[in-house]
Amino acid sequence: MNRLLALVKREFWENKGAIRTTPLVIGGFYVVAVLMGVITMSHFDADGYTTRMAIEELGKMSSDVRETVLYEGGLASSVFFTIVMSFVVFFYLLGALFDDRKDRSILFWKSLPASDTLTIASKLLTAMVLIPLSFLAALILTHIVIGLILSVTIAVSGGNPWTLLIAETSPLKVWGMIAVSWFAHSIWALPLYGWLLLVSAFAPRVPLLFATLPPLIFSVLQGWIEFLQSFTLRGNLGSLIKDWFFNTPAILTAEVGDGHAGPALGVPLAGDFDHAVTLGNMLDRLFSLQMLVGLLVAAVFLAGALWFRRRATEG
Amino acid sequence: MTPIISAHGLTKRYGRTLAVDHIDLEIPPGRIVGLIGPNGAGKTTALKAILGLATYDGELSVLGKNPATQRAALMEDVCFIADVAVLPRWIRVSQLIEITERLHPGFKRERCMQYLAQTKVTTGQKVKQLSKGMVAQLHLALVMAIDAKLLVLDEPTLGLDIIYRKEFYTNLLNDYFDEERTILITTHQVEEVEHILTDLVFIRDGRIALESTMEEVQERYVELMAKPDKALEARQLHPIHERELFGRHIFLYDNVSRERLQGLGELHTPSVADLFVATMKGGQK
Repeated sequence: MNRLLALVKREFWENKGAIRTTPLVIGGFYVVAVLMGVITMSHFDADGYTTRMAIEELGKMSSDVRETVLYEGGLASSVFFTIVMSFVVFFYLLGALFDDRKDRSILFWKSLPASDTLTIASKLLTAMVLIPLSFLAALILTHIVIGLILSVTIAVSGGNPWTLLIAETSPLKVWGMIAVSWFAHSIWALPLYGWLLLVSAFAPRVPLLFATLPPLIFSVLQGWIEFLQSFTLRGNLGSLIKDWFFNTPAILTAEVGDGHAGPALGVPLAGDFDHAVTLGNMLDRLFSLQMLVGLLVAAVFLAGALWFRRRATEG
Repeated sequence: MTPIISAHGLTKRYGRTLAVDHIDLEIPPGRIVGLIGPNGAGKTTALKAILGLATYDGELSVLGKNPATQRAALMEDVCFIADVAVLPRWIRVSQLIEITERLHPGFKRERCMQYLAQTKVTTGQKVKQLSKGMVAQLHLALVMAIDAKLLVLDEPTLGLDIIYRKEFYTNLLNDYFDEERTILITTHQVEEVEHILTDLVFIRDGRIALESTMEEVQERYVELMAKPDKALEARQLHPIHERELFGRHIFLYDNVSRERLQGLGELHTPSVADLFVATMKGGQK
């Protein structure tokens, strides 16, 4: 266990920019956007009249409405983080078993008493747990800073930030929901992660092409040859990947449901899952038949990655 | 004494070529073995098999373990430097020390710091900021701070200047080597290691061309710089190699007594490099 954690720490050292700096920069964008909003407002509203009126209006709203807006706003603010995080994980895993082969430092890593299984486990753990945790920490920090800015703005304009804002938020629920959705997504995405590690372990160069071209070509061919479709589980590979992407348990888009728009899990196009943001809907995906098949696929890919990793120093 | 490395019929095939061809080898503890061969002779391939970095056929046991299936466990007692500059370039010296300490049960931080204190390497630096010689010093400091039973060096000083090379082997000999440790070195710069070796293994075309201790080598082989009029006579005593230097003929003999050669010219113990050239050429006839 200690060795596994040491290896995860090494992943963090190597990818500090992607793992730590990137989410902070995204948080910075949010904060700057809010600050710019507040400053712009004060510029056109020098005597603060409009702001006061707005805050008064806010006070007239029912507490329920404020609560819902803050809750769903909180969930929705994770979308940008989720999207960037997906890219970070994608490129992290593509390089995970490739970079040290390229610069030959694999010979140093293999001189240490850490098995290839442990090495791959550390990379997977980094992608599934460490990176989401880091993004979550940045997201929480962002929420707190924005909450402070808004509180000060409300207070300066004579409102009570406690009753209008802070008491209406349910931060633990928002953060918990986002955290669960991200970790659920980590499991959901295992077939992809396994594939990326497999490519990373065998690609002689440009792992990006090796990762994207085969499924692309295969999908196109499959779509083209209608005949093949009759043999497959559910449509062709392309539509399988599409379904997988659209159904992710991460909060990714908004959906219009019972008269109002709110954050939604994945992209609500395909019909086999409910896209409302609830724990039940996240778990539904993880205990689905598709997920089981996905885990088997992931296991095959990971075994392949291990096979190639073992032989990476041949020749 | 149980051997550190024991190979029987060790074979490695790349497609149709045999990189290592049924090698039998036993290396006892407390030796410094030079594995010497021309490019493509199978040295690195053999080392890779020993280190668990490549699959192989035949029997191979290193410290009683099977390198192909027990690499991680084996690396607790084996260190290797596979030429210079394989340390990851992005890492900081302090991080390198920390990860080695956390993964290696036999690593002694104080000892590593002592060695580093003798160099210009500082813990805050990244490997990419270091010169090639400093990277080699750093790697050696890490390795010497590990209480390993077997140290494998594959061209450890390639591309370093003469000062670093000398220092590298001096440190290795003075601070590291003892009766329990075994060092296996491959290198092209034979002259540099010949005075520290206890054993010699020549490898050619994947086979062992010579396996001997240095004492045996000194007893068995003799080099004769023949007097000009004795060259013909010397040639009749079946030298394994003949070369010409400044018009004088130099013969290398295997198992010919010194008494017989005494009158023919000056006798020397051949250098490993000359012996190597003779052995490699001799076998090709």
